[in-house]
Amino acid sequence: MMNEMEQHVGEMLSGYIDGELTQQQRQRVEQHCQQCAECGETLEELKLLKQRVAAGKLSIFGEDKWREDMNNPSVQTPRSVGWIMFIAGILVAGAVGLYVFISDPSMPVWTKLMLVAIYGGLAVLLYSVLRQRLLEQKTDKYKDVEI
Amino acid sequence: MQHELAHLGNGAHAFATQMLGSVDDAADAVHDALTTALQRPEAWDASKGTLKTWFMRVVRNRCIDMIRLRKPSADEVDELVDSALGPEESLLIEQRDRALQVALARLEDAQRQIIVLSDYVGLSYREIAKVLDVPAGTVMSRLHRARLALKKEFIADDE
Repeated sequence: MMNEMEQHVGEMLSGYIDGELTQQQRQRVEQHCQQCAECGETLEELKLLKQRVAAGKLSIFGEDKWREDMNNPSVQTPRSVGWIMFIAGILVAGAVGLYVFISDPSMPVWTKLMLVAIYGGLAVLLYSVLRQRLLEQKTDKYKDVEI
Repeated sequence: MQHELAHLGNGAHAFATQMLGSVDDAADAVHDALTTALQRPEAWDASKGTLKTWFMRVVRNRCIDMIRLRKPSADEVDELVDSALGPEESLLIEQRDRALQVALARLEDAQRQIIVLSDYVGLSYREIAKVLDVPAGTVMSRLHRARLALKKEFIADDE
């Protein structure tokens, strides 16, 4: 039966070159590689491989490409600004429409009341559904699970 | 934040290229991720990880969305090799880098991704685990297997 020093260090070679081992593990790798030519050779090859990937050009672009991308106004404008403008527009249009509707002398009062009941009812239903959805989203314990 | 994101751009593009097998699609994925990062900076919670880790996750999720949207292709790896050897890229990428791309393209998707995240982007094992959504304790073994596979591809090329 092999003692610990005689066993190949395997994946710890990668941990060693990445600086992810404890002091004790590092010592074990170093001592083993001094005795085991196979692991010593693999360690050197993996070091060169890591350097080769790090020095490689795996993207054809430079940093300027991403700076230009980010300077695009459509990228920089926060989405929240769009929502605020959209909701503000809807509210202003609704307020103006309501004012025109109420102050319109050509429409009988009972017609106005009926329309207010229909649209008011729809608004209450919409609010109720949206509120329920928001509450479900907040309390959903699986919402952070990414597929 | 913009300066840091610009600095992360190339690493993110290399990672996305390994996931999507297309330089152009990868550029689109990084562009979308940058848009998300700038429009919703509050989505990054510094207490949960570095900007680099979070941004790479955004890129990965965008790549997954793009992969779901497109028709799966059995020739994906071949396409990656072809794109690496395409005339446009060959003008920009030196012989050595093309050899690296070809060797990477022959690996499994997960192996390519972990090598790029570790050796090209420079993430720690803990950060890689967060980006790839795998247990932190498995990163060393996954990465080691991937490196041995890459080494084998280089040896096969030399022969």
